[in-house]
Amino acid sequence: MAAASLPFDTVLVANRGEIAVRIIASLRKLGVRAAIVHHEIDAAAPAVALADVAIKISGKTPVSAYLDGEQIIAAARAAGAGALHPGYGFLSENAGFARAVAAAGIAFIGPTPEVIELMGDKIRARNFVARGGFPVAPSAIEEDDPSTFLARARSIGAPLLVKPSAGGGGKGMRIVRDLDLLDDAVAQARSEGQRYFGDGRLYVERYVEKPRHIEVQVLGDAFGNVVHLFERECSVQRRFQKIIEETPSPALSAKMRQSICETAANIARAAGYRNAGTVEFIFGGEEFYFLEMNTRLQVEHPVTEMITGVDLVAEQIAIAANRALPFRQSDISARGHAIEARLYAESPERGFSPTSGKVLMLDYPREQGVRVDSGIAEGQSITTAFDPMLAKLIVHAQTRDAAVTKAIAAVQDLVLLGCETNADFLARVLGDPGFRNGAVHTGYLDENPEIASGPNDAPDDVTRFLAVAALVTRPVRDAAEAVPALHAAIGRWRN
Amino acid sequence: MFHKFDLGGITRELWLTPTATGYRLNVLDAWSGPIALTDEGTGRGRLTVAGFSEAVAFVVDGDLIHIHMRGRTRSLRYLDPLRVLASVDSDGGHNVARAPMPGTVVALKVAPGDAVTTGTVLMVIESMKLETQIRASQDGIVERLHVKDGDSFDRDAILVTLLQGT
Amino acid sequence: MQRIVSLIDTRTDEFRANDVHNRRLAAELKERQQAARFTRPKRDLERLRRQNKMFVRDRIEALLDPGTPFLELSTLAGNRAYENEVPGAAQVVGIGIVSGREVIVHADDASVKGGAWYPLSVKKIVRALDVAIENRLPVVHLCDSAGGFLPLQAEFFADRYYAGRIFRNQSMLSKMGVPQVAVVMGHCTAGGAYVPALSDYNIIVQGTGAIFLGGPPLVKAATGEEVSVEELGGADMHTSVSGTGDYLAGSELHAIAIARDIVGRFNRAPKAAIDHVAPEPPAYDPSELYGIIPNDPRVQFDMREVIARMVDGSRFHEYQPRYGQTLICGFARLHGYQIGILANNGVLFSDSALKGAHFIQLCDKNRTPLLFLQNITGFMVGRDYERRGITKDGAKLIMAVSGAAVPKFTVNCNGSYGAGTYGMSGRAFDPRFMFTWPQSQISVMGAEQAAGVLTEIKVKQLARNGEQLSEAELAAIREPILESYREQSSAYYATSEIWDDGILDPIDTRNALAIALSAALNTQIESPHYGVFRM
Repeated sequence: MAAASLPFDTVLVANRGEIAVRIIASLRKLGVRAAIVHHEIDAAAPAVALADVAIKISGKTPVSAYLDGEQIIAAARAAGAGALHPGYGFLSENAGFARAVAAAGIAFIGPTPEVIELMGDKIRARNFVARGGFPVAPSAIEEDDPSTFLARARSIGAPLLVKPSAGGGGKGMRIVRDLDLLDDAVAQARSEGQRYFGDGRLYVERYVEKPRHIEVQVLGDAFGNVVHLFERECSVQRRFQKIIEETPSPALSAKMRQSICETAANIARAAGYRNAGTVEFIFGGEEFYFLEMNTRLQVEHPVTEMITGVDLVAEQIAIAANRALPFRQSDISARGHAIEARLYAESPERGFSPTSGKVLMLDYPREQGVRVDSGIAEGQSITTAFDPMLAKLIVHAQTRDAAVTKAIAAVQDLVLLGCETNADFLARVLGDPGFRNGAVHTGYLDENPEIASGPNDAPDDVTRFLAVAALVTRPVRDAAEAVPALHAAIGRWRN
Repeated sequence: MFHKFDLGGITRELWLTPTATGYRLNVLDAWSGPIALTDEGTGRGRLTVAGFSEAVAFVVDGDLIHIHMRGRTRSLRYLDPLRVLASVDSDGGHNVARAPMPGTVVALKVAPGDAVTTGTVLMVIESMKLETQIRASQDGIVERLHVKDGDSFDRDAILVTLLQGT
Repeated sequence: MQRIVSLIDTRTDEFRANDVHNRRLAAELKERQQAARFTRPKRDLERLRRQNKMFVRDRIEALLDPGTPFLELSTLAGNRAYENEVPGAAQVVGIGIVSGREVIVHADDASVKGGAWYPLSVKKIVRALDVAIENRLPVVHLCDSAGGFLPLQAEFFADRYYAGRIFRNQSMLSKMGVPQVAVVMGHCTAGGAYVPALSDYNIIVQGTGAIFLGGPPLVKAATGEEVSVEELGGADMHTSVSGTGDYLAGSELHAIAIARDIVGRFNRAPKAAIDHVAPEPPAYDPSELYGIIPNDPRVQFDMREVIARMVDGSRFHEYQPRYGQTLICGFARLHGYQIGILANNGVLFSDSALKGAHFIQLCDKNRTPLLFLQNITGFMVGRDYERRGITKDGAKLIMAVSGAAVPKFTVNCNGSYGAGTYGMSGRAFDPRFMFTWPQSQISVMGAEQAAGVLTEIKVKQLARNGEQLSEAELAAIREPILESYREQSSAYYATSEIWDDGILDPIDTRNALAIALSAALNTQIESPHYGVFRM
């Protein structure tokens, strides 16, 4: 594809970090000029250096700058951008912003505002999917009819998850495995909902034991063509934050894979989905339920790219330029196994508390089959102003076992000095027998806290770290050198 | 006086002894043997401990030494005796509230001169979308606020100094 | 240099008997030292804990560089005085490495009588500062003394080498450009106040350290003024108001860290350039010394066997091996440094004395430090020897010893008597360091001889009056003399009185001498004004 064939020659990247770098890479490939907005704090970021045009935006906080649609659209105009890529997070799933971009005569690289709105409303999305005959977890919403709420809940059958309607973040949630205890759980959840959210209304749904997070990548064009690009499994999570993703999922049989992928494509088709999207499911081993649809590029999209060879960002741009998909479902095949590990500026060993610092040495692994999507460079400060994700390491190998081995090596070879990261933890997760056997679920890390806390350093390792520290610390060396040779030779002697 | 390093919250005491071929490392009550490090200027080299040699990357940043070796990264802090022992002194007459993690100030709850008791919320900080209250660890008077609304800070930064007493 | 061929057979009964005997003496020495260092009344240790003070030994360990030696001097000073209640004379003195510098450490031991200065404490401090002056060694004073022990003030206050000498020596050191650091860890009262005041640098520990000419009780008695320790001479006042103190430390360890930082900034004076090669351990095991030193001090032994277990590679270049054979002279190396050794192998005759005087001049001209290994009963007496000029020749040896500009080191290995003590660089001849082995004795003559001389005088007095003494009466005169001689000529008595710098376990001698020699080289060696006289 040549730029000349596209209706725009400049695309504004309305994002930062690794995803901005990633988008610029595809723009380069397409021969399209890359413009980028950035807050002051990101002035030294690699994405800004890579872009052809960089425009400063401001805000009360750095995050608020990237959420300021007006400034960003003005920047796009100033840069002469014919299209805008929102990346993920920030304004990527903001229907109002998508509308405003379109109104400014700029192509929004993403789905239509209507679909963003539909999928952004969890209840509407769920109802939409259920009406289409797709699997959703059986549920009962109290406000539909408070008088029959408990009966409807009971009829779903155990296990159940009781949660406050207004809730989030797991607060007030109760798992009921014995229906006799439902009344108590409802009372407790109501009181906690009242306490945390000032809203005692409840919602009950089927609870999936040891749930796995399976999602399916879809692409749809403006001409009604929709394809899926297979699934990704993202069950290694901590507090809804994904840590390791892979494809194919080790949990799916070929039949289940086909079923879940086709379901996703059909949901997208039913929604008239255009551009790249992801349909997320909860998978319990035998059944799967629709969870939500993300109307944007996902963080973990590279694993799909690794096994399919499709450049998802390039396809997004082509779709936004009103191109038809260049392939049909039957043209898409998957090869090998890909794993992504997210490098975070956080300390799993200290309760995942965020870390900060300055990137003093950065060296990524350069082996075949290892891809690094990074938004940081040497000399850059790491602050807590943004999401703590620094980079993603993606590996590709013929088998899952080989990919796991490669991922461990990649995580261990990665050198990032100056800011504590979760790299050790990633290696521990990847090397964990449960993960190696493909037996993880979204609660796995909570159930196995020792993976996060990690073992104590072996004495031999401590000695080696101390040896380096001693040799590179001037006062320690100077003190040693200052001792006269005769006294050093005698050593610690007392008469 | 031994040299002290903090590694993961544990203080290790050691010293070096020059030898004909390099240095001998002496870790108090733990280990003693010959060590050597090549290519020290570049931040990359080979560490040899008791004859066994392996690759190492490191950066010295003030008193912090960041090391990558054996697939792991550790940051050690050189505990300069003058600084470490002096801080015992200066904390002696005062009581400081330190940042448990890097973050930004969301709200200041006290002003200099305010009397506080143990547990009084001094400020609210935000780190990773989580709000944390910083509380007084003892009774006293707020002597100084080291940050203002919206300021960001690193882990262990001093946020508030309290004067002891009533 | 040729290696000494040892003729010792370690399998003989004699060797084994000596070995048992000398190991027991060494163990006894270590026990006494251990007690002098650490055995304290419980209440004194509790008082230190209450005051939040470190024990003096811990202070010193924290001050020294890790993995370096500490040559402690006169550990057993005072062990035969004050009913043995003032171990170490309440002082710890030694040569150690602080921030890579050789320094004298002088520390009051507050666990002994509150660190009060007894007469022997003063003598020990003066000696420590003499060592500093002679060897240009910086001094770190760790001050924690209750002041002079007033009941004995007549024995430590007024005379030339009494307490005033401490402050005179401090002033001389400063004048010479040899720096001192004082760390005030307790109250420095009266004279004690001048130790930090006369130091080039001082540090006061907040809370426990204070400096004042007169303490609060004295001030109250003198002027009626009531004043607190802190107001009168506390750390805050002195470091912010009077300027008597330089640095305020929050704790003893902080003070020690500051002191180390200060010492780390001292210029290192260039060492006297004497011949040096890479060091080499002795070829013979030094622990064989235990089997060589006879268990009966009256038995002669070959000092070459001792030299073989002390010097590098056991190599010894013997000078004039065929002449004056009761005094062995020759060159050897100690930790690589060339030294000249004079060692007794019998009584001194004219030829041995002349050989010694000649050899000392050679070494002096060659800037070779001298080591005297004493095992000397004295110069030969008798008509023939006087006629041959034994006194005149002995005078030459004493003159050479006194005049040598190179550093001298003396070890009393077994015995040191009479004029032999003088000819072999006894304490009065300013050897830089003087050490003693546990069994050795020192006196103007042997106990038996002295008792004999004294009873002989008594018998003659009585004979003039026609009286005679019975055997029992003779014994009654002899025994107390013998007893007092035995006591006062012992190594423990000598070290108690600070006639030496300490008793050494023989196997520690090599290291002790090496540290002493290294220290001595901080002073440049003057050139002699004459050539070498062949005697």
